[in-house]
Amino acid sequence: MESFSEIKKIQKNLTDKKYSCTELTQQYLDAIAQKNGSLNAYTCVTAETALAAAKKTDEKIAAGGMLAPIEGVPMTLKANISTKGIDTDCCSKILQGYRPVYDAAVWELLQKQGAVLLGKCNMDEFAMGSSCETSCYGGAKNPHDLSKVAGGSSGGAASAVAGELAAYGIGSDTGGSIRQPASFCGIVGLKPTYGAVSRYGLIAYASSFDQIGPLTTSVEDAALLFDILSQKDARDSTSVGAQHLAVPALQQSLKGRKIGIAAEYFTGLREEVQAALDKAGKVCEKLGAQLVPMSIPEIQYALPVYYILACAEASSNLSRYDGIRYGMKAEHYTGVNDMIERTRSAGFGSEVKHRILLGTYVLSAGYYDAYYKKAQLLRRKIRRAFVAAFEQCDVLLAPTVPMTAFPLGFTGKDAVETYQTDICTVPVNIAGLPAVSVPCGTDASGMPVGMQLIGNTGREDLVLNAAYQYEMATRAES
Amino acid sequence: MVTHEDIQKIAKLAKLEVEDNELEGLTKDMNEIIAFADTIASVPVEDDGYADPNGLENVLREDTVQPGLTQEEVLANAKDTDGSSFVVKQHA
Repeated sequence: MESFSEIKKIQKNLTDKKYSCTELTQQYLDAIAQKNGSLNAYTCVTAETALAAAKKTDEKIAAGGMLAPIEGVPMTLKANISTKGIDTDCCSKILQGYRPVYDAAVWELLQKQGAVLLGKCNMDEFAMGSSCETSCYGGAKNPHDLSKVAGGSSGGAASAVAGELAAYGIGSDTGGSIRQPASFCGIVGLKPTYGAVSRYGLIAYASSFDQIGPLTTSVEDAALLFDILSQKDARDSTSVGAQHLAVPALQQSLKGRKIGIAAEYFTGLREEVQAALDKAGKVCEKLGAQLVPMSIPEIQYALPVYYILACAEASSNLSRYDGIRYGMKAEHYTGVNDMIERTRSAGFGSEVKHRILLGTYVLSAGYYDAYYKKAQLLRRKIRRAFVAAFEQCDVLLAPTVPMTAFPLGFTGKDAVETYQTDICTVPVNIAGLPAVSVPCGTDASGMPVGMQLIGNTGREDLVLNAAYQYEMATRAES
Repeated sequence: MVTHEDIQKIAKLAKLEVEDNELEGLTKDMNEIIAFADTIASVPVEDDGYADPNGLENVLREDTVQPGLTQEEVLANAKDTDGSSFVVKQHA
């Protein structure tokens, strides 16, 4: 069977000596120099690190050694994943110039495998946003149309991968931040089960929602990376590792599989998104799966629950930026408290301040029970509703986003409308489930539409199997 | 209804300064979002304590001495240090 894996293709070319890893890496670096001015995908390019890693791969190949599964493949990391000695600023003024003194667990794993890091990628400030435009560097642009956003918050990684400035990217997903930009840029994005991938070294936004995952050009690559990255890690006490490896399950037939269609995901979709998903559903039926109509009414509470809890956690997590230990520090101040206030006020952008204030409000005396506690209880209700849904089906099929990529500078008519674009992605983070976004056609203007496949806890194997079979059935050889 | 005074009070708690020209917009946004958050107020839920929503359990380990960051590493990203401590002036 033919393979759409970019990682495998590159490795085959390396071992066939079509090009050396140094030549390949230099080609990527040249492409970044040429195209990043318009895409704004990278905020930091690590040419030296990349070329040093490439040299090691070349030496290994010259010595006749076998390559590890992702060795020698040029890639990128989101700017909130810690890399020792390399800028990790979350695209926030408050962390500009911050260079971690340790590596994130995922970067340790990838380095051990011989990954070639091209640079760090643009994102919404502290991962708070759906367009990448809250970045202190301005937003990343969509390679399919430079007048549109790449999505967010992992917009830079999606733009880089779709724009052929990296073979794959590693991002983070708190409320859709891997899947939504993947959908907007026409690539694959996997948000693993909460706890599957260690968060050690991921700069926290909302710790009970945050999860690291890959952005790739094929489902096979997402599965390959999931299997490498999902390792239990004692340094993240919520880490459990993979429950079912994904790669061995990819080739399974979908015959007899039950794919749930929850009505709540299909309200308020743009017509073209609806049409693309209807078509995708038919493909799954042709592959032998059975579509099961169902209802998960609890999804309607997902957005308020998400914003209350994520902002509460953010207000606590971001209290560490006090100017004392890292990041920016106010120059003129009259005492400790004044210094902290001035530093935070000058360092955080407006969306981050909004979310800290909302989080502080819902946690404050007199409001805690009505908002925070209520949202926590509803969170469990939502989770139970999903668990019950998976008694009737193997995976759920839904849109990733109700629309395609919006124009640069777009916001809803108010803050709430802007948040509503996340309606299809946040339920998964609330319930801690795995989900992948796979390209499933385009709208009339050629902008990509994404299909989301959602699985029960630990069932990345089923989600990626379905995504892979769909991809093989629909994707023409490029 | 969130008022200007509420915003000032929350900002103080969050150690953020709110400029007068930001106050109107912030109050409006906060009211919209709070009204949205209020939509869950009437939903019935069982109060079944604080079990982890992701079904995870506490992870315990032996308290053993392990290597950590050096003093130099810990201070590496601070703007003001005296070589062994973080420095914050009590008065300018």
